Amino acid sequence: MSEVIVITSGKGGVGKTTTTANIGVGLAQRGKSVVLIDTDTGLRNLDLLLGLENRIMYDLVDVTEGRIPYKKALVRHKKYESLFLLPTSQIKDKSAVNPAQLIVLCDELRKEYDYVIIDCPAGIEQGFKTAIAAADRAIVVTMPEVSAVRDADKIIGELGRAEKDNISLIVNRIRPQMVESGDMMDMSDIDDILAVKCIGQVPDDEMVVTSANRGEPLVGNPKSQAGRAYANIVGRILGEDIPFMEFEKEGLFKRLKKALGI
Amino acid sequence: MGQELIKIKGGADGFQLIVDSSAKLEEVQAELEKKLAENPEFFPEGTEFKLVVADLNKNVKKGISEFLTNKGLNIANSTNTAVQQKEQPKVNVNTQQNQGQQAANSGISQQEMTVVNRTVRNGEQITSNGSVMICGNVNPGASIVAAGSIDIRGTCRGIVHAGAAGDIEAFVVADCLLPTQVRIANLIARSPDNIEKNNFAEKAYIKDGQIVIEPIER
Repeated sequence: MSEVIVITSGKGGVGKTTTTANIGVGLAQRGKSVVLIDTDTGLRNLDLLLGLENRIMYDLVDVTEGRIPYKKALVRHKKYESLFLLPTSQIKDKSAVNPAQLIVLCDELRKEYDYVIIDCPAGIEQGFKTAIAAADRAIVVTMPEVSAVRDADKIIGELGRAEKDNISLIVNRIRPQMVESGDMMDMSDIDDILAVKCIGQVPDDEMVVTSANRGEPLVGNPKSQAGRAYANIVGRILGEDIPFMEFEKEGLFKRLKKALGI
Repeated sequence: MGQELIKIKGGADGFQLIVDSSAKLEEVQAELEKKLAENPEFFPEGTEFKLVVADLNKNVKKGISEFLTNKGLNIANSTNTAVQQKEQPKVNVNTQQNQGQQAANSGISQQEMTVVNRTVRNGEQITSNGSVMICGNVNPGASIVAAGSIDIRGTCRGIVHAGAAGDIEAFVVADCLLPTQVRIANLIARSPDNIEKNNFAEKAYIKDGQIVIEPIER
């Protein structure tokens, strides 16, 4: 029973690629076989977050154009044996892959792997349409910000028109301090507008940036709040019933320490 | 000619032809000819005019009507607010008939009701030649345009336009009315910049030439 999941958002910079990398690694940690497909042709980043850039030989466009079998293009993760990346071309653009080609590819991947996760480009054009074509399920990533929520709303409408009805939501980069003081939208505001089942609330965490630079997704890292939140999301994708975590607030002491650079 | 004899006013979905009551038929015709020639792209064939007159001689009225018909333009009776039916709405659940009214205005076939049973999201637009009922929310960035009235069984945060063909009797009702803009006929109102959410239903309609919003029971 394998599943094809697309991670999308509409707006750029909300953390689609970070989420894809973390969910992929998280599923692999739980012993699932996973293929991550980067469909952001021309602006690929997923390989960087996974630290796999220097291992890429072939790309998605080589596969969809039939030059090589997909197995040759898959890059195995250095740490997790069951995690593979199918990177896209950095030279071509979005028009190099069409929805029909991706459907054919995903149907092949389905036979061999438990999860196929597609990292969707920002926007609602060709690239988006290609990315969602093969998906059984969509995860919309948003931030507690008016423009991100507005775009997520649009994307949910687009997904509905493409008859993708299994949609869930991840709210990324929440700043508990700001939510509490009323300077940031809270979950109920977002839920009011989007009305989609939420499977993740991820706090804003500096460690996300450092882990991205190192190419090691932080899912499951007990020291990081975001790492724990991603691990919970993975559990929920696997059908477990996990309550949402309470965010630790930065106390005065911690903030002082940070200000002093200790 | 101190005062203009005729005025053409553009509304949301049609034009109003306002004729001075002292005008003579020949004068009106000459004036109209001039106005239509000035910007022909504004008035394609089939454009509908609503005649607004204080009290005009029947002959003059008839003359204007004939004149416009010859030009391939239509005239709508000032009491008749129905638009021509361009397309069938997707869902046609409820047809409302007011028998007495119906007989009087043979021009109107029947009033249609478009029912939408889902949330209308950012970027979506629902248009109808009749009234619209939304069983769900209208999100910011969505717009509802209806020749008739609009009923939202949910929260309205988008743009709503009732009476888009010029019907000033049209109204908007919502369980929670926080629209970006409300438009009724040719009037526009926008929400205050910091609007609070109420938990009672409200209705927006035209009163004394202004859009007013007031709570209703339902």
